Amino acid sequence: MNVEDERGAAPRASGVGATAPRVGGLERVTGRQEYVADLPHADALRVKLVTVDAARARLKAIDTRSALAVPGVRLVLTAADLPRPMPRFGPQRRDRPVLADRETKYHGEPIAAVAAETVDAAEEAAGLVRVDYEELPAVHTIAGSLAPDAPLVQDPSLRPGDPLANSNVLREHRYGWGDVGAAEAEANVVIEGTYTFPMVTQFAIEPHAFMAAPFGDGIAIWSSIQHPYWLQRVIADLTELPLSKVRVFAPDPGGAFGGKQHAKYEPLLAFMARKTGRLVRLVLTLEETFQAVRRGAAQVRVRAGFRRDGTLVFRDIDANYLIGAYADIADRTVAKGSYTANGPYRVPAVRIVARSVLSHTVPSTAFRGFGNPQQIWAVESNMNEAARLLEIDPLELRLRNLPRPGEAFIPHETPADGDWAMAVSRAGEMIGWQQRPSDGRGRGIAVGLKSGPTTGLSYSTVRLLADGSVVIHAGTSDMGQGARTIFAQIAADELGAPLEWVTVVMGDTAVVPYDQQTSASRSSVLMGNAVLGACRDIQAKIRAMAVRLEGVPESDVTVDRGEVRLADRILPVRDVLVRGLGRLGGEVIGVGEARKEADPEHPLGGTSAFYEFNCTAVEVDVDRETGDVTVMRHVTVSDVGKALNPLQVRGQDEGAAVMGLGHTLMEHYILDEAGRIRNLGAIDYRIPTSMDLPMRMESDAIENADGPGPYGAKGMSEGALLPVAPAVAAAVCDATGVAVRELPLSPERVWKALHPSLARPLDPVEATPR
Amino acid sequence: MRPFEYERPSELAQATSLLAEYGPEARPLAGGTDLIIRLRDGSLRPRVVVDMKGIDELDGDIRDDDGYLRFGALTTMTDIAADSRVRRDYPALAESALFVGSVQIRNRATLVGNMCNASPAADTAPALLAYGALIVATGPSGTRHLPLEEFFVRSGVTTLARGELVVAIELPRPTSSRGSVHLRRTRRRGHDLASVTLACAVTPDGKTRIAYGSVGPRPVLAIDDSGRLADPSLPDTDKAGLLDRLFAGASPSPTSMRASPEYRLAMLRVLGLRGVKAAIDRLASAQAP
Amino acid sequence: MTNRRPLELTVNGRSRSIEVLAHHTLLDVLREDLGLTGTKECCLVGECGACTVLLDGHSVDSCLVLGVEADGASVTTVEGLAVDGRLSPVQRSFLETGAAQCGFCIPGQLVSAHALLTDAPHPTRAQVEEGLAGNLCRCAGYEQIIEAVLMAADAADADAIADDDLAARSARLRALGDRAATPDAELAPQ
Repeated sequence: MNVEDERGAAPRASGVGATAPRVGGLERVTGRQEYVADLPHADALRVKLVTVDAARARLKAIDTRSALAVPGVRLVLTAADLPRPMPRFGPQRRDRPVLADRETKYHGEPIAAVAAETVDAAEEAAGLVRVDYEELPAVHTIAGSLAPDAPLVQDPSLRPGDPLANSNVLREHRYGWGDVGAAEAEANVVIEGTYTFPMVTQFAIEPHAFMAAPFGDGIAIWSSIQHPYWLQRVIADLTELPLSKVRVFAPDPGGAFGGKQHAKYEPLLAFMARKTGRLVRLVLTLEETFQAVRRGAAQVRVRAGFRRDGTLVFRDIDANYLIGAYADIADRTVAKGSYTANGPYRVPAVRIVARSVLSHTVPSTAFRGFGNPQQIWAVESNMNEAARLLEIDPLELRLRNLPRPGEAFIPHETPADGDWAMAVSRAGEMIGWQQRPSDGRGRGIAVGLKSGPTTGLSYSTVRLLADGSVVIHAGTSDMGQGARTIFAQIAADELGAPLEWVTVVMGDTAVVPYDQQTSASRSSVLMGNAVLGACRDIQAKIRAMAVRLEGVPESDVTVDRGEVRLADRILPVRDVLVRGLGRLGGEVIGVGEARKEADPEHPLGGTSAFYEFNCTAVEVDVDRETGDVTVMRHVTVSDVGKALNPLQVRGQDEGAAVMGLGHTLMEHYILDEAGRIRNLGAIDYRIPTSMDLPMRMESDAIENADGPGPYGAKGMSEGALLPVAPAVAAAVCDATGVAVRELPLSPERVWKALHPSLARPLDPVEATPR
Repeated sequence: MRPFEYERPSELAQATSLLAEYGPEARPLAGGTDLIIRLRDGSLRPRVVVDMKGIDELDGDIRDDDGYLRFGALTTMTDIAADSRVRRDYPALAESALFVGSVQIRNRATLVGNMCNASPAADTAPALLAYGALIVATGPSGTRHLPLEEFFVRSGVTTLARGELVVAIELPRPTSSRGSVHLRRTRRRGHDLASVTLACAVTPDGKTRIAYGSVGPRPVLAIDDSGRLADPSLPDTDKAGLLDRLFAGASPSPTSMRASPEYRLAMLRVLGLRGVKAAIDRLASAQAP
Repeated sequence: MTNRRPLELTVNGRSRSIEVLAHHTLLDVLREDLGLTGTKECCLVGECGACTVLLDGHSVDSCLVLGVEADGASVTTVEGLAVDGRLSPVQRSFLETGAAQCGFCIPGQLVSAHALLTDAPHPTRAQVEEGLAGNLCRCAGYEQIIEAVLMAADAADADAIADDDLAARSARLRALGDRAATPDAELAPQ
């Protein structure tokens, strides 16, 4: 088989490249899809978390007597019931305690947990836990955290040997190349700006849900988690059990967006299950999810130098990300989002400094885009301001600075792996960039680049059953991206089975082989390749069967895309399978493995497996009197290599675009002066509804089959979110002449920018963290 | 949610006597779209919840009644937005009812409930004020009618006496043609709590009734009978000054997270001018042959 | 205090007679007492619509209805949309347009779509947007959800409708400078 054949193959009705119906779709439209909260739990103890209404507090005493007196209460777990020192966990640092350790560090950090026979009893008892505490000064802004006299969020003893341990900077990352100082002399124009990005939250419609129970001689955990194998390791460490005795059940999450990557309250539930010997169950309220996960806020200063013709000569980026009280995976989002902060541009001299700044706020974590949207907001806004200053069309300015396919644009890193100019041009054509919009409207364009996984390991086993049907085992979490469908399409194609004959088993660490994680838009590439590899393994065995059955030389037999090709005829795989298995029947088992090896020398620990690239162009209408921004048109073009399922590609891209409009136009945490979240919950934290869509949304995909995944696919589904904010802000500026450098572009903020004399300069009410 | 007792009386007298007996420890339940949120978040902790929906004397009908259009205590926002008489004669009310929450909310939320919660942001309050609505309240000492502007005290507080229930809202039938409109400001286009809400009604006699909410402790009614606001030829710059006097009752909270006071006041002015213009235009088209 | 009360209701055509606590919502009753977990729980303040069911034919947020309020009522949940194992048109079209991503909001979306199409069998796109605005989808698959509803409404060409409708939607937005006022003509019945 050669590559040309693969790319040239006509898509089948349900195979790769076709708009196959979602595997799991029927369950989803009938209400039969079981999320964690839907699993049987009649005998479960219901858990309620106990918190205090402060961002930071010293815990003096906890009195559980009244709570324990509530009928049906079986356990009120406090720090005193846990081993000393306090067990801690975390994907980057083991800094997050199972329960607050003597001091709460953010609004909503649990200090105790009640387990009771009913929800009512658990809630009542949680309200009766008496906590004697002293509220302490909290830092919840970048300036506050970096002030010389700021209280330290993390005890220096948790950071042994860390030269920054006596500051709130968890880590400072420095990247770059070339000599920025020297390059500055070559610039005809230098443009500088500082851009801020607010705290926002994932707001999955399924609030996180967890259960834990003693299970045989080990423990079982049920969680709406993206990384079940990572969770398995965390629980094994904390419970001192071997991995084989920790079984994680991970039903498909009801939306995750990064917020369900890493362990949150599973360790707490594991201790409660062991203490009570019972199944314990915790379903968070939406408000509690706001206090469990969010995206890092950021303030990014960008200085960029251009020649008069628009050629970039240097870029100097200094970013502070406001992460929370514990590292979670936040520092990695800072590192990864900042390493590519210069974007997809050919620039001879770049300096990037990015700090992870601890604060007394909810620990920030992964969220679609993983640290990139903050940088892209700043750098692309700066690029658009440069275009205005240079009087160069912003689309043209991009084209002049984009690398060609195969060109290195970050030293020692994966070169440009796509024809990005094609995506930019396509977006321009789709929105009719060459014609001016009608009066009063503005246009904006921006691009986004995100590096894919830097390391990865996925295994899959595929079983070709005696009748030709297929069972795939894949440890990916299908959280809405449609991974089941992609894997089923690949196996259906490669093994010649109808799509309906393929079953995809996921979400059980005792049954399904290891997968590192579901993140960084990796699964179609890494697990897809593992599934493909397993299918190829089966194809080799089928080929051996055909050689044996037909008595022909090996060189005369190929197996490809569901067919066994002999010198003189083509047989379906199933035909060879049935004859080859013979009277005993059985099955053929294939094993696949896909790796992205680490590179210890690389600043991120490995080069990028692929890039996600997107170009977004929008047209807006601005009501100058009210500040309302209406997105009239929204065009989003992603380079996906190969759309394995165009229907799902569209859903991911358009969904990401609308999610991007959320943080662009309306979403942000509002904290009070003490650092408590004021807009907890759906009433005052606004996300887009069906009435907040662009008046017209158009998406397209660039398919040059130049990715490392099956059939040339790349990862996708974050890209379309990346450049939304700078594109919209540029369009607002195009319409009004006013550049807004702070998100969200709420009506009030835009109005204030348009009417500076009417709005007081300092407004305590709109105090977003900065 | 904390436990409470649930009563579903079948007669009005039983309901009013329960409310009289328990006082603030009883909460009437109609649509429940506000009450149940507050029962869950603990901001209300009644001992007894009195469901109005089983009471024989109460209904959700919209009736022509001797010079009034009468809305029963159980009339929902969906009913109001769909009613042809409301849409013809009280379009600002129909518009405001359509802005109350989602379809699901409007199917439950009642007009009377929207008034009794006495939220400064109540969407339907400005329209009702502009149209001169009367509250019909029944209690242990009988039934009384009071103008809506005498009903609101501050957020969550009305002039209802202990044991009193609102059994209906009455709108006087229009005696002439009228142009009226409802406008609001929110943080997104999908349903949202208003940061400014305003209704404006203009009549051929030159009278302009403007009511506004979400800019102070209670919705406010202001009337211009100089004829100048309603004058289509008067420039906006002149009207702005007139409006500012009508908006003297606005005092937005400096601590709200939904909008700053300066933005609310500025938007009140914007909506005021737009509302007056839209009402004048509608009056003109109503009078067009 | 005992606040346990008898509750008789019809759920998806089946009569149920149970005892419930007065402070438990219809959502609690469906999920916990009747084991009908298709109806989802998210915001609990009537904003997200994940818990949407039909109560005597009207869509409601079941988190804002007490179980006892449904005494004597007829309730339809997502589990009741398919008849005799046959998917309803809107369920089929949701599959066809790829409207379901993670799927968590989909039961509520379907019930709202069902209610909308019952009241307005041939809705405009604007009516669909309005009719589903009480159902949040964080995967933001709104475009495909809206297309599914239009498709289920037997619209000959969903794209054509979207194009025609664009002008009307723009007009609505531009009315008085924002969509604060809905022009009279747009005051269509729900």
